[in-house]
Amino acid sequence: MSRPRVFAVENTLAKMAREPGGRTAEAAVKAAETRVEAQRGVSLVSLIEKSEALGNLAAAARQGAPDGLGPVYDLSNAIFGLASAFGLKALSDAAISLCDLSDHFRSADEVNWPAIDVHVDGIRLLASMGEKAAVSGGDAILEGLRKVRAHAMPPN
Amino acid sequence: MSLPFSKTERVNLSTAEVLLACGDPEGLNIMAEMFAGFGVHTPRRCLTMGEAQSSVQSKVLNLLVVDSALADGEGYDFIHWLRRCEIEPNCFAPVILVTGHTRPSQIFKGRDAGASFVVRKPVPPLIMMQRIIWLLNDQRKFVCAPGYYGPDRRVKALGPPVGMKGRRHDDLSAEVGAASTPNLEQDEIDALFKPKAVM
Repeated sequence: MSRPRVFAVENTLAKMAREPGGRTAEAAVKAAETRVEAQRGVSLVSLIEKSEALGNLAAAARQGAPDGLGPVYDLSNAIFGLASAFGLKALSDAAISLCDLSDHFRSADEVNWPAIDVHVDGIRLLASMGEKAAVSGGDAILEGLRKVRAHAMPPN
Repeated sequence: MSLPFSKTERVNLSTAEVLLACGDPEGLNIMAEMFAGFGVHTPRRCLTMGEAQSSVQSKVLNLLVVDSALADGEGYDFIHWLRRCEIEPNCFAPVILVTGHTRPSQIFKGRDAGASFVVRKPVPPLIMMQRIIWLLNDQRKFVCAPGYYGPDRRVKALGPPVGMKGRRHDDLSAEVGAASTPNLEQDEIDALFKPKAVM
């Protein structure tokens, strides 16, 4: 077995970033926040499209698609990433819950389809509510999903 | 909220070659907008591991930001490949791994992939900038070992735990030995702090 080697490497990023010019970190963060915020509208529309696609993927998995729940997990994870970037807490929490469920049942002998379906429906509803979910019953939907998840995946 | 860096801290990323990899097109778009705000001109945008690998082969990169979920695989596998690909200097480049939902089986993969930093979503611009600034000051050495290629995962050098003998060859003993040379004179000590030209 070869011996471990430990050696110094040049930090080229630091060398470039310390060159004259550029902007203050504070200004860079503000500019980035503005640019990301400008993507909010497009992203909310995309979340609705993704949640509709999630329904199709879950239906395909139920009918025995070769990848099973894998695509449901992947899309749910993407929904989490996008929703959390824009502070859509109920939607991102629901997506994480579906990630837990689809990962748990991916290798299980029997899938609790009602639990998957109710999550998909909840995510579709929360995505369609968009930012209004925070004041229009999003928390109640999420609370319901938490109970379903706890029932379908009891702690060890 | 107070800023995690000084108000006068300047960052020039205008000439930096940055690779952004994310399997979700909208997620990748948000990353690209964020880095455009940071002043990065044309980041390499990659949806798949294949695209990211060909970028590594064709261009010298200064920073890679990799999502754990790529369109055709996992970001962990890409970083694992990058660290062992022997394409210098890219194989030593700083990598920020961005994770979403993490399966239990991925926890050790994440630790062993060789990323310089792991950040959990959501990653707002402030957090990303904080991590970049941390990387600018990163002086960790690079480790190539049978089970791990990447920056030294020990970010603190506090020595071995109290009461234990260190395992590394350069660990120093906590006990101070007897002096082997005469004590310095006061003027010699002063000269260390206020060096003067000797005529």
